[in-house]
Amino acid sequence: MIQRIVVAAALAAAPLLTSAAQELATAPPDTTGQVRTALAQQPAPLPWYRPRHAVVQTGGGIGMVAAGVGYGLWRDRAELDVLVGYVPKKHAGSTLSIATAKLMFSPYLIPIKERWQLRPLTVGVYYSYTHGTINDEEPGQYTKGYYWFSTDTRIGPLLGSRITYARDPSPRGRARNISFYYELGTNDLYILSYAQNRRGLSPVDILTLSLGLKADF
Amino acid sequence: MLLPLLFSYRRLGLPLVAAGALLSGCELLEFSPNDHRSPSDKQDLTAKNLAALAATPLPAGDTLRFVYTGDSQRFYNDAKDLVASVNRQTGVQFMIVAGDISDFGMAREMWWVDDHLRNLKIPYLTVIGNHDQVGNGREAYKAIFGPLNYSFVYGDTKFIMTDTNGREYNFNGKIPDMNWVRPQLQDASVRRHVIISHVPPQDDDFDPAVRDAYAQALREDPRLVFEMNAHRHSFSVGQPFNDGVTYVNSYAFERRKYLIVTVWGDKEFRLKEVSF
Repeated sequence: MIQRIVVAAALAAAPLLTSAAQELATAPPDTTGQVRTALAQQPAPLPWYRPRHAVVQTGGGIGMVAAGVGYGLWRDRAELDVLVGYVPKKHAGSTLSIATAKLMFSPYLIPIKERWQLRPLTVGVYYSYTHGTINDEEPGQYTKGYYWFSTDTRIGPLLGSRITYARDPSPRGRARNISFYYELGTNDLYILSYAQNRRGLSPVDILTLSLGLKADF
Repeated sequence: MLLPLLFSYRRLGLPLVAAGALLSGCELLEFSPNDHRSPSDKQDLTAKNLAALAATPLPAGDTLRFVYTGDSQRFYNDAKDLVASVNRQTGVQFMIVAGDISDFGMAREMWWVDDHLRNLKIPYLTVIGNHDQVGNGREAYKAIFGPLNYSFVYGDTKFIMTDTNGREYNFNGKIPDMNWVRPQLQDASVRRHVIISHVPPQDDDFDPAVRDAYAQALREDPRLVFEMNAHRHSFSVGQPFNDGVTYVNSYAFERRKYLIVTVWGDKEFRLKEVSF
């Protein structure tokens, strides 16, 4: 049954692929190494504030699930993502919502084969604010500087990779690339802990992992 | 014989590292620094250490001897050295860390301290400190160690472990929980009592509304050997309320000293300082 559906889908998709190939043939040669967005008809420019992609991820200290939108900067070599994350009460003792901004640079774009592209290195920073912690400072609870660090605000570096698949562009000509990424990260307080305890901690101790998907729209 | 072994070990190295990375993937996928999901060997450590202690019981009448310290906080290098030093001691039965296991109230910090302390040859027990209650630390402590108030009997001595971090509850008048502490102190089934908590009652971080009730309950306990705290990072022994009750304060890990506490008779004790 499943095989029949696959065959039917392939048959249905075949004319689309053919037309895409024809369009490619007439499009100017792709010299930028960018994922294919070239089309016979250029899409209308988007307003600056319109997000270019949606993103969803798990881990990385910013949510069991974190979802948001982002913008490509500097010809998509950099991206700014804004996410809202969620951690259920059973995992943290209280329900947490985490607002995060991530700025990532991907200096290298490597086409692997048609439709597939690798960003072997993405490097960036994130800043997160957590709402909903249990023992958050109440007015007058502590004297000034009692705890020198912030409970809710974290900042940290990220390092990862990303692989992109170029889906067929939308009917209006927008790129609809879809990417999978992972990122290794840590945060300010973990870094401080390691920096002061090079014998007592290992770098692996302070690592976090994120796994995520990005989709252009 | 050794050479092929070494060789195969090196060949295995990379797959092993990769397998290790996969296994620890769940821990790496941290939802938040306030997330306290922990691997099974980092859960219920109080119960596990109590079970280990129960496996080497102290016969009635035997001298009690334990290591007393506190405030491990962000002192992992010192934790490593402390463990090496304590493992050279003979005749000590367990170790107590009197709160501030973590610095930022995060689960991983509690794992990191346990990573070292689980190398002790003796069990260790903890009581919650104020730093362990920052953010969602209280819930992390419960998941990784256990209850905030608990007691155990070893030999002739009942240890009463209680949360005295009143400021972390914004001085709600309920910390320490005297409804829990009083019956513990009134337990007449054991020869001696020792009560241990993080913040000393004479400290500004102890709830002033509960201070008198706490000191009074201790004063009225004929079996109490002494009261023990940490929080101040340096050793002291004295009777701050001039009421016959002795209060002992621990060194922090960073001071690179700890106490060996010996208790015998009804209330005889000796405190020995060890540098590492």
